[in-house]
Amino acid sequence: MTKRVLLHVGTPKTGTSYLQDVLFRNQQALEDAGILYPADRFDAHFLAALDLMVLPWGGLEAEAHGAWDRMADEVRQWHGTTIISHEILATASRVQAARAMSSLGHPDTEVHLVLSVRDLVRQIPAEWQENIKHRRGFSFQEFLATIQDPHREGPVATWFWGVQEIPDILNRWAADLPPERVHLVTVPSPGGPPNLLWERFCEALGLTGLELDRGGERTNPSLGAPETALVRRINLKANRVVPPGRYRPLVRELLAHQTLSRRTGSPRLTLPPDVHPWAQELAGAWIDEIKSRGYHVIGDLGDLVGPPAAQPYTDPDHPAEAEVADAAVDAIRALLVENGRLLGVEEHLNAQLAETRQELERAHFRPTYRARKKIVRGLESSRFGRGILKLYRFGRGNSSRSA
Amino acid sequence: MTDPRAWAWVEHLRQGGTTPWSEWAGRVEPAGAVVPGAQQLELLRRLNQSGDPQPSLVERVLAASAPGRGQPDLELVGAGRESPFGPRPVDPATLPEAELVRVAASILAEDVVAAGLPAPPRVRRPRPWRRAYRLHGDPELVAPVRDDLVARGRPPGGRSPDHLILATDLSQMLVHLWTIRGFDAGVPGWRTWLRRMEEHGTLPTRIDPLRVARRRTGRSAPDRIHVVLDPDALPRLVGVRRAPRPAPGLAAEARELGRRIGAVVGVLVPADRRKALMRRRLWPWLAEHPGSPLVVPDALDGWLGDHAGRIAEGLSRAGYAVHGNPEGLALRRPGVDAPHPAATLTLAMRMMLAGGSNANPTEEE
Repeated sequence: MTKRVLLHVGTPKTGTSYLQDVLFRNQQALEDAGILYPADRFDAHFLAALDLMVLPWGGLEAEAHGAWDRMADEVRQWHGTTIISHEILATASRVQAARAMSSLGHPDTEVHLVLSVRDLVRQIPAEWQENIKHRRGFSFQEFLATIQDPHREGPVATWFWGVQEIPDILNRWAADLPPERVHLVTVPSPGGPPNLLWERFCEALGLTGLELDRGGERTNPSLGAPETALVRRINLKANRVVPPGRYRPLVRELLAHQTLSRRTGSPRLTLPPDVHPWAQELAGAWIDEIKSRGYHVIGDLGDLVGPPAAQPYTDPDHPAEAEVADAAVDAIRALLVENGRLLGVEEHLNAQLAETRQELERAHFRPTYRARKKIVRGLESSRFGRGILKLYRFGRGNSSRSA
Repeated sequence: MTDPRAWAWVEHLRQGGTTPWSEWAGRVEPAGAVVPGAQQLELLRRLNQSGDPQPSLVERVLAASAPGRGQPDLELVGAGRESPFGPRPVDPATLPEAELVRVAASILAEDVVAAGLPAPPRVRRPRPWRRAYRLHGDPELVAPVRDDLVARGRPPGGRSPDHLILATDLSQMLVHLWTIRGFDAGVPGWRTWLRRMEEHGTLPTRIDPLRVARRRTGRSAPDRIHVVLDPDALPRLVGVRRAPRPAPGLAAEARELGRRIGAVVGVLVPADRRKALMRRRLWPWLAEHPGSPLVVPDALDGWLGDHAGRIAEGLSRAGYAVHGNPEGLALRRPGVDAPHPAATLTLAMRMMLAGGSNANPTEEE
């Protein structure tokens, strides 16, 4: 069996969560087919990427130390094909990419680089929405100005281009790989067959023909324009009082993912018509560059051009207030339901606590115990009493003193 | 990149050269696949200007990658054919100091982890007649006092303890809390953190002696609660003759550099190890470099004054024992109101040139 490593390094918002979920849940089936997906938890490759790039991530990095080297060890010991996949690897520096490749056995091992790519026309609004779901409060217009600034200063622009600029990602990751070992998977245009992207991933990762359980999707659901505007307004008002640890379950999970993303009838987030030509022109330059390099393309580079400008355009910075209000009512309903559930949990815990207290009272019910307790409490409330207690305890010996 | 001029400059820097990239004209055959980033090269040039870096340090700088978020490794302007993709190449001399500090912090973090923990101090057996006490309040005041008393056989705890809430002026306590959080877990920069604090309105509990005291009140007799603003009062309260040693103070740039290093150490080791390394290994290294202390900007005087007044009044009304002058909560000390990036870089380079782990060779493991 040929030893190969298939290294999928991005990009975000290209169906990566779904792919990683299928791979994680089918580890045994893959292993039977000679394919290793080395992960003891669903986010194992994410932690490995944090470790490789020395990237703090809201405290999660504390669980990441040594994760890349452990994974690379496993890969080197495996006799067949290994798949590694995480989209934040797209932002690795040249030095980090070189270290990763070397740790996986490159150049002695056959390493293939896989990059799944989607048109900027959809990626730009999706990235802004992702920022909003991570507590950010800037408007769509501000985000567009930031990423269009050629200086690319600040964390938002640096991150965006680090994970989205396809030729640059390939410069960093694939500089010394032969083009036939670099595989670009394009995300189909909207309205294509639902299975098409999965089939392309299967071709890139050698999964075609394998019986894999694909149920229980871990998707990254998207929000419409009024829903995103609502979350942004919540961020602006609530960030001061909702700490990050509470924001994640309440706003990102409960409101954004479980509630607002289900409102599929609202206008979708799209690029403004005046930005659309810029994004498509940029995509054109990328397509020319990719063609000239001779990489293996699975799909159609034409997919990178993206859909035409939406008509009419819905500006998430100036949404229809009635639509935002509708979304807000749904959000309040979800919060009420969740609060009801939590009140139920609280009542249950209170009942358990009361029961435990009663048990404790019964255990301490003996009159002599209660009398002694009363005396000690009385003595402890005054300086004189504490002196008496001290003397008494000294007289009784060390065993009566606490540690 | 295969540009002969860039590779010649790398070699020049490797040999201790200090010529800026914009003035460099030499050429050699390429010596590798990837020219190090502009940040790494400029940091090495400045290290060469400041001292004589060891060959091992030179190679580590050249092989480093800036950790965390920020600019990726940048290419040198004018080196070979400029790619139309990726961030624009730069003249390294124009890079902001903060970008160079990112690389330096990564190397110093490796030094901290490699040095390990210093040998633990000798701890005397607990004295049976010791006074029962517990410490609360400003973490930078509490930690060294507790460590010192534990070493002297007087650990906190015991039956019906006195609760000692250690505090100082609010400006210092904010600086202390920001530092400790940066060391232990990670915080944004000083100005951003302060702005969030002001927006939030309330002070964190640990540096609000009134809130700490109120929290204790339900569980302890009020006369057991002491707010200690005057460190000279402490020996009597814990039953010792000699005052516990305070932590050596840190300069503003040392606190900022510690925050940057902590972020990297947090990825290299587990959380509890990070905390121990940052406090016990890095803190003394940073304390060796004096400088101006960090203070809260004057613009926040009103906000701090309001809190100081509220706390002093609340303590007085509740009748808690206050050791020291409550007006000291509003005290303003001289210092700088933000760490200066150039000073932070200078400190980082001084520590790199000093050899990090060589400075304190006593090892635990």
